[in-house]
Amino acid sequence: MAAAPRRPEYWNRLFSATQALHWRNLPVCIALTAGAVVMLLPFLWMFSASMRPTGEAYQLPPNFLPDRISADAYLKVLNSPIPFLRMYANSLLVAAVTTAGVALTSATAGFAFARLKFRGKSTLFALCLVGFMVPPSLLLVPLFFGFAATGILDSIWALILPGLASSLGVFMMRQFMLNQPRELEEAALIDGANYLQVFLKVSLPQMGPPIAALSIITFTQSWNNFVLPLVLTRKAETMTLPVGLLSLADAYGDFSLAALMAAVTMAVTPLFIVFLIGQRFIIESVTHSGLKG
Amino acid sequence: MTRAAWREQIAAMAFLTPALICFLAFLVAPLIATAVFCLMEIDRFTFGMTYVGLDNFRYVFEDARFWKTFLNTFQFIAMAVVGNVGLGLLLAGLLDRALPSALRYFLRLAYFLPVLIATAFVSYIWKFLFDFDLGAINYYIRLLGLPPVGWLTDTRIAMASVVIMDVWKHVGFFMLILLAALQDVPRELREAAQVDGAGPVRIFVSVTIPCIAPALLFCVAYATIGGLQVYDSMRILTNGGPGDATRSVVMYMFSEAFGAGELALGAVSAFTLLIVIAVIVAAQMWISRRWIR
Repeated sequence: MAAAPRRPEYWNRLFSATQALHWRNLPVCIALTAGAVVMLLPFLWMFSASMRPTGEAYQLPPNFLPDRISADAYLKVLNSPIPFLRMYANSLLVAAVTTAGVALTSATAGFAFARLKFRGKSTLFALCLVGFMVPPSLLLVPLFFGFAATGILDSIWALILPGLASSLGVFMMRQFMLNQPRELEEAALIDGANYLQVFLKVSLPQMGPPIAALSIITFTQSWNNFVLPLVLTRKAETMTLPVGLLSLADAYGDFSLAALMAAVTMAVTPLFIVFLIGQRFIIESVTHSGLKG
Repeated sequence: MTRAAWREQIAAMAFLTPALICFLAFLVAPLIATAVFCLMEIDRFTFGMTYVGLDNFRYVFEDARFWKTFLNTFQFIAMAVVGNVGLGLLLAGLLDRALPSALRYFLRLAYFLPVLIATAFVSYIWKFLFDFDLGAINYYIRLLGLPPVGWLTDTRIAMASVVIMDVWKHVGFFMLILLAALQDVPRELREAAQVDGAGPVRIFVSVTIPCIAPALLFCVAYATIGGLQVYDSMRILTNGGPGDATRSVVMYMFSEAFGAGELALGAVSAFTLLIVIAVIVAAQMWISRRWIR
């Protein structure tokens, strides 16, 4: 992605006359940097606590940088009776399938709303935006009821299906396609292509950037989801990480702080990676969705 | 309709089907079911339903604990909105100036990182930072010779602690949106005000604030709707305690629906929250039509 070749540009700008530090702004820079360090301290403490031998994690003064490297706590988590790796795999599976599903439903719906003329368009579009107003955590009772009645409670599907209705996705895809020129699609139609061919060969290839942004957002949301899996899963074998960590923390008697922090560190690592890769996409889409939503 | 129009209509329906099935099954149907459940008594084992009219509403609205959690939730919202939007605006104002781009990159990354990491993960870190005897925060307070604070155990302070973590977690989001709004304020307006002899405070109040009012309004509404659903942080940090000091409406919904097995009572509290959210969204739309632009 675009991250790697950008560095020289930053480097040049850092030393260029116009972008260099204005002395008047120095106090602001120092204050903002101090604030940023405070923002990062909890993560530093998490990491250094996870590196402690399991008995010494509580040691004061608190260490924000690890004083030694030890994998004891990590091994303790992996060897615990709680199937941590299984939960990790569940989280990955749920997030990956949800992301693929949301990308598919949003891209097709966005194409229809932006490019096709049909009756009931505004009603159906309004229906697709209801999700902006209705948080899924408030639909837990009927979801639990419905999944229990159909027997898919406590399965991976109970965690994937509710995530597939994405108002943000439909909105983003439609908005993006409306801003793209439609001449290419019209030309393909005149040349005798059918709508499926137009979508697959002309529209979809343009949708790369918004699909990337949507995928990053959806993956993160799914990975972070806590309330739904808390109700919809009971067996440790179907749990995802956020719920698994709760049962791990509840069994705290056997679990040292270092082990808990090791588990949290492992759980958040994919988010750090996703963020470092997709920083630009995420920040752009947040600012845009915020201002237009 | 002509044949071509029919073809387009059918194609549109085909493209919309995957998304519409998801929206109908996991958003619209649960929404309707929530309203229906409110009027029913649901057997917790057989899921059999009998119509009981408004009895569920009467029970919930006469439950002092419901109003206590409602009050708690609004107390949380009041503090979290002021903290998130206020600090977000301050940070955005500080960032809205010429800074070396490497520093800007680092600051954006540091302030935004917690937004992406789920509450369900970071709450464990904060739980130990807030710990009375062994927590990092009280360690430094003791070092200053002050009495340690019962961050999570003192009835009067526990809610503020939940808010502190919430602001740490979400302020980066509001900062980004307000920063984008500030950067859209026309430079000429501020310069004109400066020429007319206005000081920086006067410029901020009379020029900047009216220009970013739509973004501010969005932030307040967004933070309020998010605050209405607060659950994860309270569940892990304090589990509602001490007493009921940090128990939110969603926690009440959980304990009624999935603790006591009274699904209908859970539906009533969820339905009440959905109505409140609808009122807030309507008010946001009304205010922006009436007062802004």
